[in-house]
Amino acid sequence: MIVQTRDLTKLYGGHTALSAVDINVPDRCVYGLVGPNGAGKTTLLAILAGLRRPTSGEILLGVARHRMAVLPDTPQFDPWLTGREVVALAARLAAPGDTEERVEQTLRDAGLADAAQRRVGGYSRGMLQRLGIACTLVGEPSLLLLDEPASALDPAGRREVLDLIARLRGHATVIMSSHILADVQEVCDSVGILRDGRLLFEGRLDSLLVGRAVPAYRIHLRSGAESATEALRSQDWVIGVDPLTANRLHLNVRSLAEAEASLPAVLAGCGAHVISMAPEAADLEDVFLELTS
Amino acid sequence: MTLWRLEWLRLTRTHRLLILVGVYLFFGFTGPLTARYLSQILDRLGTEGMKVEFPAPQPADGIAQFVSNASQIGLLAVVLVAGSAMAFDARREMAVFLRTRVNTVREVILPAYLLNTAAAVAALTIGTLTAWYETAVLLGPLPPWRMAAGAAFGALFMAFVVAVTALMASIVKSTAGTVGLTLGVLLTMALLGNLGGLGRWLPTNLSAAIVGLVSGHSPGSYLPATAVALAGCGAAVAGAIALSARREL
Repeated sequence: MIVQTRDLTKLYGGHTALSAVDINVPDRCVYGLVGPNGAGKTTLLAILAGLRRPTSGEILLGVARHRMAVLPDTPQFDPWLTGREVVALAARLAAPGDTEERVEQTLRDAGLADAAQRRVGGYSRGMLQRLGIACTLVGEPSLLLLDEPASALDPAGRREVLDLIARLRGHATVIMSSHILADVQEVCDSVGILRDGRLLFEGRLDSLLVGRAVPAYRIHLRSGAESATEALRSQDWVIGVDPLTANRLHLNVRSLAEAEASLPAVLAGCGAHVISMAPEAADLEDVFLELTS
Repeated sequence: MTLWRLEWLRLTRTHRLLILVGVYLFFGFTGPLTARYLSQILDRLGTEGMKVEFPAPQPADGIAQFVSNASQIGLLAVVLVAGSAMAFDARREMAVFLRTRVNTVREVILPAYLLNTAAAVAALTIGTLTAWYETAVLLGPLPPWRMAAGAAFGALFMAFVVAVTALMASIVKSTAGTVGLTLGVLLTMALLGNLGGLGRWLPTNLSAAIVGLVSGHSPGSYLPATAVALAGCGAAVAGAIALSARREL
């Protein structure tokens, strides 16, 4: 584990922002921190970053503080600096030495090479977010704490950031908070779900989803829906068949493994023309709503 | 790109250095001019039939007029410029950038303190040299060593003002709060200076030391205030570092 907390508690006056939170972040994974507004995500990231002190509890970091980089949710910089100067300053502070080539490469990776000479005061919010990410990456940190890293970006920018985070897997550890559950589901290996300062769930994302998923298939047929329904209902591994439309079926099964082995043969045997069939996975949003409601 | 260069660019690109120098330069030009021609100016503005007699202006009056004007507007400019640099926690996101990239907050505070002090001292020096030159032309020569000693006392007072600003920035986060609190502290010290013999110990006494020196006061009379100002600078900067290190964002 690269980050562990034990009974981490943070009180603001009478308000409990975090209550006995134990998180365990494996080395070189992408860890998603999700929760409704006020759940304590930003407080937890701020404590991990050393910007706030816990009221009680302890933090075990497997990385030196200078190997850690933090990206706030809305990065801001002195408006009279150029983008290149901001990244150069971040590089110099993170890893003194010859930083020039690293700065240029990071600016190119962030898509800011053309705007590098412009003053930051003229940057759009999306460009500031990219600049913040560039500053975070330029020191090649071992641990990145990203607070809503894609929240201000347009769809193309969001895609680039998610790809970038995914590329970091195996090279660095990323802890990211996000309201966009689809993003977390896409790039994170592990998740921690917070509500009212308490950690409701922590673990690998696949175990969270699989554990709560009802094994099911969605089938789309060109023809033969009636005969397929009849044939499937006679199978002992099929729990139920629900026609969704004239050509679409929803199939509850005893296990996905049995369905994988038998479903194609049953459909072929009854003469149905198959357009598509796929297991129905629970998504993070369903699980999140179930846990936090 | 270093934190030293960051502070230098803050002073130059935002024209803060230019404003500081401009303010002191303006009063350096106008102070001796006002002292030299005050009588004529008032004559032109005065009521007909009434004449105010002024003693002939002395060289010390030129410097006194400069210090009188610059110690108010100039000091306000110094506090505003220093406050905007020292209150680096005023905007959380910018503070996160700096605080998560340095080992100690001292790395941020020291360049900001030293460069803003240097800027204030440079502005004061340029204003003093201008006032000195103009006084020499219009009113007569001033004693060089006493002028130099007075400028040094003034420079120390600037260092003290910026140190107090740094300390106030570690107590309140906003720039406006930092500036307001600093001015409050300096005003209180100036008021306390009127109480008995306390004034000779207060660093605010140094702001007009140059006037006292060219008027014949002994340099030794400013040593108590010098000692307090030196100790105050160290204590205020150390306090600013300690309090800022404890601050949560």
